[in-house]
Amino acid sequence: MLTRRRFLGYTALTPAMLACRPLLRAGAAQERSESSEPPLRLAVIGSTYRPGSNMQTIADRFLVGYPHEGDWHIPHIQIVSMYVESLQREPELAPPPHRTYAAHGSQEDWHPKVAQSVQPPAPTETHTTASVSGESGAMADLSAARASEFGFRLCANIPEALRCGGDHLAVDAVLAIAEQVDYPRNDRGQILYPRYDFFQQCVEVFEDEGRAVPYFNHESLSFSFNEAQSMVATAERLKFPLLAGSSLPVTWRMPDVDIPLDAHIEEAVMVGMGPLDGKDFDALEAMQCMLERRKGGETGVKAVQLLEGDDVWAAGDSGRWSKELLSSALSRSDAIFGLTVLDGRPQDLVAGGVLPQLVKDPAAYCIEYIDGTRATLLMLTGASGDFTFAARVAGSESISTQFFRSPAPNNTFSACLAAKIEQMFTTRVAPYPVRRTLLTSGILEAGLISRRRLNEKIETPHLAAVKYDPPAESQYARA
Amino acid sequence: MTQTSSGSARPKIAVLANIYKARLHTQHIVDRILDGYGWDGVFYHARLEVVSLFVEERGEGDLVPERAQRHPGMKVYDTISDALMRGTGKLAVDGVVYIGEQGIYPQNEKGQTEYPRYRFFEEIIDVFRSSGRSVPVYVDKHLSWNWDFAKAMYDASRVMGFPLMAGSSAPVRWRIPSIEMPLGSPVAEAMCVAFGGLDSYDIHALESIQCMVERRKGAETGVAWMQAYRGDEFWKAHQRQVWSMELFKAALCRSHMLRSARQSFTDVYPTLDEMRDLVKDPVAYHYRHLDGLRCTMMLMNGLVADFNFAAAIEGQPRPLSTQMYASRLAEGATLENYFNPLVHYIEQMMLTRKEPYPVERTLLTTGLLCAGIDSLFQGQSRLQTPQLAIRYQPNDSTFRRN
Repeated sequence: MLTRRRFLGYTALTPAMLACRPLLRAGAAQERSESSEPPLRLAVIGSTYRPGSNMQTIADRFLVGYPHEGDWHIPHIQIVSMYVESLQREPELAPPPHRTYAAHGSQEDWHPKVAQSVQPPAPTETHTTASVSGESGAMADLSAARASEFGFRLCANIPEALRCGGDHLAVDAVLAIAEQVDYPRNDRGQILYPRYDFFQQCVEVFEDEGRAVPYFNHESLSFSFNEAQSMVATAERLKFPLLAGSSLPVTWRMPDVDIPLDAHIEEAVMVGMGPLDGKDFDALEAMQCMLERRKGGETGVKAVQLLEGDDVWAAGDSGRWSKELLSSALSRSDAIFGLTVLDGRPQDLVAGGVLPQLVKDPAAYCIEYIDGTRATLLMLTGASGDFTFAARVAGSESISTQFFRSPAPNNTFSACLAAKIEQMFTTRVAPYPVRRTLLTSGILEAGLISRRRLNEKIETPHLAAVKYDPPAESQYARA
Repeated sequence: MTQTSSGSARPKIAVLANIYKARLHTQHIVDRILDGYGWDGVFYHARLEVVSLFVEERGEGDLVPERAQRHPGMKVYDTISDALMRGTGKLAVDGVVYIGEQGIYPQNEKGQTEYPRYRFFEEIIDVFRSSGRSVPVYVDKHLSWNWDFAKAMYDASRVMGFPLMAGSSAPVRWRIPSIEMPLGSPVAEAMCVAFGGLDSYDIHALESIQCMVERRKGAETGVAWMQAYRGDEFWKAHQRQVWSMELFKAALCRSHMLRSARQSFTDVYPTLDEMRDLVKDPVAYHYRHLDGLRCTMMLMNGLVADFNFAAAIEGQPRPLSTQMYASRLAEGATLENYFNPLVHYIEQMMLTRKEPYPVERTLLTTGLLCAGIDSLFQGQSRLQTPQLAIRYQPNDSTFRRN
């Protein structure tokens, strides 16, 4: 709980204190000192720490806190090491082998000591970043600046990050955020994110040590279902909590509704936008976190077909996806394009028949579940800018909502995710099943295989094996 | 009234407006009545028939011709009385929607735009009087820039016995989180940290506070005094804790647009010194209700760009806090869908001839706004507000949740 003393302690920080890092960290230490336990030690591994990257917006929350339930929450977690993959591919940007920003001797003295051999850069971020990365301006990688300010070790490889330069596993949790920098695509158009590689390198350290720590994997587990499945199996075998996925399942909803547990869902439509192998994954996650609450829980997916172009509209005309549900989902959107952009008028895009004019490259992930449930993700770039959902539930009115992607730069939806990540790190229990993300990773891959095979339906016996029960409690932000 | 296919009546509505251009209040409200809007999970069409339209300021960007052509049932008239009587010589509509917001009108020495709400209202009730009957009236935002005018408008509605609805969309928007002030709560202090201009967005923030605190123990009893703070005086008051630091922080932690003071950080809680750098012209309206409740409305341009509420409730360890969410603030939003619930309640009033929520709320916030502006104009002095001894009871919760 926030006390007035703690608040004043925080707001009393002056520019002079900000210029003097030990004082700042002392202030932060006071914030965190209500717990007698030492802070949990976190390794962050990712692709890039550029401004606006997922790594910046999420990892920063473990450095400076985040808004949570009407308070500014400072996690009792300390980032002790970081590995930034893109820096390694540009040798002049990589941390030198002996670069050490912090020494982590005793628990009492957990705020950083700067190694004598390395002068910390000046506290101005742009200056610091430029001096370390050789870049300047808004897009420079921030990891070196963060390392010097917050006193963590910037590492040349993942094992070093997990061992903090020593011989043994020296962290209590791993936060992995692989995102697009310049990774190649395969022939299905999938970006080859190194998520499996990151995970395996950590697992090698875990196995060497005979000890494993909680691991969060941002977004899909892998572009390959086989790799994703192997990651989940490994976590089960080594008995460490694994959480993955998008922030959409845990962000605010308007309205604040969930599918009633054990509801009989007849059909669902999700609306998303953006290129394929992009935000479609987030949309699949949002849809799945609703559908998994249906009667019988999740019992797997039988087939996936990705439709494109006019076939998307034809499928709507033939009733393969419900126009009524699409209209319902779009009624939850605050970003409708076309004439609305011109003069602000509201529009029923479905009844008005203007979708084919607005959406140049429509795509539909048509998903058949083992239990007969039908779901369709419609990627309607050009029609709507919001992620919205509608489902027809037997015996009750249909349920629809918007998954709130709050505005940049704050992106507070990622604070909702940070709270779940923190919960897993501190309790060692994943708040929702990683199998959700195993399934969505597999659906995404199957959809892109379908596209590669000229949009044929792909039978997915491998996804029939992905069964799990949803968490009994709703996990999205509502407090 | 005409009959709908379901047999229910569709009240005939006259729309009066200052101006009807894209992305102004008239467009948001009237387009929703004419074209429909998202409501309760469907694209909903209001059971209202707009039969007449009067717009005072026409010219470049005017949407009247396009809307009138697409909705031929809506006839355009040259005067207010013509729009209400439609050539019959007497009142010929079932309700009046007046959007007296925006458009070019004179500004007074206090910085208030003298929107002609009272003048329009006088003309409306002249028709009511000459016709011997009256119909429900909606007045957008606060009743008037002038307290005496506002009081006269309210009094006329009570004497003549017609339902009057007014105010901001803020009380009926989505809330993030979706919470209500529990009825009968012993509220000790309340705050809204908002943004925008004086005599403009301050009313939204005042209504955000009032729709919550009117539900407190003992209901609304009126306001005893008002004191505004601005610039250095604001920061001095802030440091003296004239208002609660705990509520201030709780409100800021509900913002989705809290500006970072530190380059390269996108979401970080600012220090007091950083806030001073970010907010060049802070404004607070600080006021005390007759039952002792203290409230503070803040415009913190440069720090937040949304409407964030917090209240201290006796016996509760943490403040109750939420955001009154305005969709226009989100990335890429094209629809100002916080007007949807407002239009829904306008329809409800026209259909039922009952006020959907107490117009006394907006009478009080109109008075608070006038008093806040007056306090600023009078050297930020404390002004006693005996005229604001307005008592009323809250009704059912009406914020958007479906």
